[in-house]
Amino acid sequence: MEIDRRTFLALAAAATAFRPDRAMAEQEALFLGARLNAGGFEAAVIDATGRDRLVLPLQARGHSFAIDAPRRRAVAFARSPGRFAIAFSIDGKGEPLAFAPPSDRHFYGHGTFTPDGKLLLATENDFEGERGITGLYDATAGFRRIGEFGTGGIGPHEVILLGDGKTLCVANGGILTHPDYERVKLNLATMKPSLSYIDLETGEITEQAELAPELHKLSLRHMTLDRFGAVWFGAQYQGEDDARPPLVGRHRRGEAIELFPGPEATLKALDNYIGSVATDSTGEIVATSSPRGGLAVFWDAQTGRCLGERTLKDGCGIAPLADHRLLGTSGRGAIVRTGPDAPLETVRVNDPGAPAWDNHLRRV
Amino acid sequence: MCARLFQSVFAMCLLTLPALAQDEPDTIAPEIGSRVLENYVTPALARFDETSSSLATSLSAACESGSAGDLDAARSGFSDTLSAFAHVSVLRFGPLVAENRFERVFFWPDPRGVTLRQVQGLLAAEEPLPSDLADQSVALQGLPALDYVLFGIGGDALADDARRCNYAVAIANNVAEIAAQLEAAWAEGTSFRVSFISPAADRDPYRSKAEVAGEIVKAAGTALEFARNAELLPALGKTAEKARGKRAPFWRSGQTFAFAAAQIDGVQKLIEAAGFVDGHSDLVNGYGRGMNFDLSHAREALLAVETAPEMAFSAKEDRGRISYATIAMEGAKHTLNGELSGALGLVMGFNALDGD
Repeated sequence: MEIDRRTFLALAAAATAFRPDRAMAEQEALFLGARLNAGGFEAAVIDATGRDRLVLPLQARGHSFAIDAPRRRAVAFARSPGRFAIAFSIDGKGEPLAFAPPSDRHFYGHGTFTPDGKLLLATENDFEGERGITGLYDATAGFRRIGEFGTGGIGPHEVILLGDGKTLCVANGGILTHPDYERVKLNLATMKPSLSYIDLETGEITEQAELAPELHKLSLRHMTLDRFGAVWFGAQYQGEDDARPPLVGRHRRGEAIELFPGPEATLKALDNYIGSVATDSTGEIVATSSPRGGLAVFWDAQTGRCLGERTLKDGCGIAPLADHRLLGTSGRGAIVRTGPDAPLETVRVNDPGAPAWDNHLRRV
Repeated sequence: MCARLFQSVFAMCLLTLPALAQDEPDTIAPEIGSRVLENYVTPALARFDETSSSLATSLSAACESGSAGDLDAARSGFSDTLSAFAHVSVLRFGPLVAENRFERVFFWPDPRGVTLRQVQGLLAAEEPLPSDLADQSVALQGLPALDYVLFGIGGDALADDARRCNYAVAIANNVAEIAAQLEAAWAEGTSFRVSFISPAADRDPYRSKAEVAGEIVKAAGTALEFARNAELLPALGKTAEKARGKRAPFWRSGQTFAFAAAQIDGVQKLIEAAGFVDGHSDLVNGYGRGMNFDLSHAREALLAVETAPEMAFSAKEDRGRISYATIAMEGAKHTLNGELSGALGLVMGFNALDGD
């Protein structure tokens, strides 16, 4: 695996940073987020009070994580078009391990473990082949890459595992990029986003859900599962600035995608961009964050009704905290408890000197 | 390498940023939208309309007469159209984004050579040319396709090939039609124009003059980033051995550097029109002039390239010029997205400006 000098140095530094200040109770709520801190990129484990429990330096900007909670470990992924991933113990035990995809692939920043902890799956770009890939890594053998599945689309972003433990759902964002062109979007005119369901045993795409043709520029990117087993997604619109397509939707297997615009003012406030999707602990409330709009919006998972919104400037990271409560993070250093039923509680205030939290927050 | 790549990736993402301004700082000219409309948008669109219509006419004449002089005039009309579009390309929001107009005029980047493949396929096919190019693949509709038709192999004998000639005229007409649509979409009374020059809470897409300023900043940054990352750097490669001039736009017509220089010139004129150079805030003016300093040098360096684009990216001296231009463009963009945006009171969040 390719590990450049910077990664090596970051890992060497990590070894010294790995000093949890006290034993962490396994049942305690912990969260993972990537961030920018004093000019350096990090992955951090924090508790519900926003306190750092573990900090891992990263060679460049991170994005999201795959979490293997039973085995107390996680993998931090590089943000697209990055090519590094770092597996580490959430409790700071042992040394982190860096790995990379093959040279003709890059990560999209998301991945997931299988429930038995044997496999890690990561969304990747086969940029010469112009197709989305789920890379398969042997999580029992140093994250050796053992294969890949096509995702049936271009620009796969988030991947989640359904409740059956053997079906993946991948959001094919539809946007073609090539690392030679940095992050320039190469196919806006012909985007075709989709949700693909992939059988983990065979790699076969068992179902694919698409939007109506007039919504082909609605890039499907982030997802979560509600307590009823349906996939909720948040989208980012790549079309005209003054169009206001619905940005939040639900997909139940075998059915058509349902879209929930919510109130007109809320939809407008979201500014055609949703950065993260999560549920509360019950799985009955879905939260969608928009850093561009500076707000989080809550949805009833059963009915699709919009339950209200809370302001969080440059807020994007959002993860389940308790019943009807979520923990949110912002690029301005804020950490908040939020939900549809009660006012927002500030855990950490905006602070230009504090770490700027990146797009995603994940609950261990 | 990682740091450099990251820097440019980070910068690139500013493209997707809608400026999130919370207040209406008085460093933004009160009439920013009207100023930009009057001094940049309207003349740029008018010139694009005029040059593209005139290109269609001169191509028809060249096809009809078959004279070398007429072909030269048409080719010169192509350069004029490119130069006019370079300014329009800076306005990559609103009408230019709608209905894939940008891609229809300028399908770029094209790392897989889709344009060449499809154009050659169309020229070689037996069936009649499509009646309306607007329904066809975006790669067949615009200026990169015309670059091949006019300057690629067989381009010198354009008039001898009726199919090729008709196709060239069809592209020019299609581009002229898009130019007319752009003017119509920005015309007096359209909701987009109203929102741009008189933003208000109940208007879409601009609710405040800060959002208009944010759009202008974003457009200028996008244009610089696109010219650098999608037009120049892929052809430049990391070393002279890896340079591939044929990855640059309009290398066949030899217009690569003139086009990029015209885009840079467009950015300069846009920030001047917005009042970022000679406006009422000395602080903003200072940063705007700093940008102009870098951009003028970048433009001069590109215009000083004398070698044909196909070879220039690997020719030592020209490679240095191009490389210098990309560095100066990056510097200008950092000033734009950092200090200048800050002086305008545009708050740009870590996530909001650079999401994924």
